[in-house]
Amino acid sequence: MSVPALSAGPSRRTSTVFVATSFVAAGAASLMGGMLAMWLDFRAKAPTRIASDGVSIIKDWLKKDIAIPEVAATTMMFTFVIACVMAQWAVYSGRRNDKSHTTLALAVTLFTGLALLNVQAALWMQMDIVLRDDAYQTMFYTITGMMFAIIASAVVYSLVAMFRVLAGRTNDNDVLAAHALYWYATYGIFTALWFVVYVQK
Amino acid sequence: MTTAVDSRVSGSAGSSSVPAPFAALGRWLTAADHVRVGASLVAGAFVWAIIAGVVGAVLGFERLDAGSALVDSDALTQLFSAQRFALVFGVLAPLMLGVSVLTVPGQLHASNVSLPRLAAFGWWAWLAGSIVALVSYLGNGGPGGGDERYVETYLLGLALVIVGLVAVSVSVATTVLTRRNGRRLAEIPVGAFAALVSSIGVALTLPVGLGTVAYLWVDFVNARVAFGGADLFDSWLGWLMREPQTLVLAAPALGILADAAVRTARSRQPLRGAVLVGVGVAATVVFSSVTQQVHVFEVGKTPFETVQSFVPFALFNLLPLLAPLIVILLSLLALKAGTPALSAAFVAAFLGAGMQFTGLVGSAAMHVDSLGLVGTTFGEAALVYVVYGAVLSAIGALALHLGSVTGRALPDTPVLLLSLVGFIATVLSSLPHYIAGFLDQPAATAVGYDDSGFVGIANAIVGLGHALMVVVVLAFAGLFAKSRRGDAVADRYTQGAGA
Repeated sequence: MSVPALSAGPSRRTSTVFVATSFVAAGAASLMGGMLAMWLDFRAKAPTRIASDGVSIIKDWLKKDIAIPEVAATTMMFTFVIACVMAQWAVYSGRRNDKSHTTLALAVTLFTGLALLNVQAALWMQMDIVLRDDAYQTMFYTITGMMFAIIASAVVYSLVAMFRVLAGRTNDNDVLAAHALYWYATYGIFTALWFVVYVQK
Repeated sequence: MTTAVDSRVSGSAGSSSVPAPFAALGRWLTAADHVRVGASLVAGAFVWAIIAGVVGAVLGFERLDAGSALVDSDALTQLFSAQRFALVFGVLAPLMLGVSVLTVPGQLHASNVSLPRLAAFGWWAWLAGSIVALVSYLGNGGPGGGDERYVETYLLGLALVIVGLVAVSVSVATTVLTRRNGRRLAEIPVGAFAALVSSIGVALTLPVGLGTVAYLWVDFVNARVAFGGADLFDSWLGWLMREPQTLVLAAPALGILADAAVRTARSRQPLRGAVLVGVGVAATVVFSSVTQQVHVFEVGKTPFETVQSFVPFALFNLLPLLAPLIVILLSLLALKAGTPALSAAFVAAFLGAGMQFTGLVGSAAMHVDSLGLVGTTFGEAALVYVVYGAVLSAIGALALHLGSVTGRALPDTPVLLLSLVGFIATVLSSLPHYIAGFLDQPAATAVGYDDSGFVGIANAIVGLGHALMVVVVLAFAGLFAKSRRGDAVADRYTQGAGA
């Protein structure tokens, strides 16, 4: 007697890690979006003062004696590109079961992330402003501190992904794709922060 | 039909020298299955419902006489704040997410939630955060608190609660999107769809609150030059604990009603697509929440000014009303299309959704300037309607799904009676404050109003309503415990048609 064959399941399983990472990334974007919105609200409501040209009236949000290290901030922007390219390289290598290149790509992503954290710390040291002085300082340290935490979480993600590859899970492409997605999202979040906090000030 | 999941699968029941109670405790502490995590969240929310009810009763009787004081006047601000925290972050959010964790895998024919350890982390983070917040209130902390250490502790507790709820919501949303066994989203039960809508809403809106908490904490522990002191916390965080944000948290109640209707009617929903649209409308609340703006409708000097005021008011206050309205009407249509028999699950879910709709209508009315209801007890009543409505919906969900999830159904008649008493408790604890709002009783204070006439009586009735809700929650817990020990009851809901 023949037994009817079971029907085939769905051809492609939706990745749990990828979907969950998407939600976490969306949550992180929402968090930073809310913080930036409050930043813009405070800046809009700041009192006005005469600008350094002695003519125009500007918002007295960023005090005259505070200088933003724009080179360091813009360096972070471009360093993110390296991290994202490396994360995508890890996906590319993972799909080809190329363990050595996957590990190398993840290691470079990891160290690029550490470099980003280092730049952020250097930026705080260069600015040398006191947190307690004014609303700007309080909000600046909070929002950049939160960005620091988001970058740190991406670095931890890279570390975990790298250990998984080193442990032999070279074909774990869902995790590598989710890892790359998280780095893209982090870059997008930083871009918004960079424009509002460091460029528009 | 849902899949039965044995809650014992995650624990090893083999021979062990560890005493049984300790082994059970160990299994519970390390549990990462949807039954234990979901049940823990629901149980924790019911404990908070008792706390909220007791606080509500105390405040009701405190406001009976504007001259005398049962409670120290310094503690009143914190009591009002504690009640709001208890209702939203103690009851509403964990209850609806807990019901989702408990029931969604069964609805999708999945064995467990996706990322069960993340869900378990979320439960523990919520528990720890809610306890920390409670301790901070007891120690003169929280918004308006006088002890700086406990005010900081409150912010820590609130942050932990938010992190926990977001973790659970990510697990629920991922479950619905990745464990559908090949079905399209439009084909899954409405309960699972509503859980997805709510979870996405939670994952997108609560992080905004977390960012605000970060700002407040850094400012509070330093110079307090940006956000003021603890007295102003509610002005920054208030949107998290009022309508329409509460609809994001309460959206699973719409799915519970839709599923209960088709199971009770033993038919299919004739306009299933419209029900999904109705549930989806609840997602529009996300926009009004994250803008953190209050949109009040004022009649302007010109028609253009009136329209200019009406459009945002309608988008943020009237549009969310469509979600419960559509689902309630189409659930009644499903009953008409089938052969319904009275069921506890439907009655509880219907009354719950109805209460939530009433709360949202009240919230919309409060934002009509000419009614003069802003700053009155009207807003408090709207929140109580939504949260106690969610409690009724959760009772309906447990009556509907517990048999298939745990193999032990709840008896229908006692649940039906409890739902009716819960409905009375909800109306008593909120409707008088709607009326008192029109009589200009101010919100969140026990002084500064005329307590003669109906206002004093209204506050006493509200106190009694909260006390009655405490009795309902305790009675339901007793009924649940009895159903676990006694003879198994036939599950009338497993034979119904799919949603």
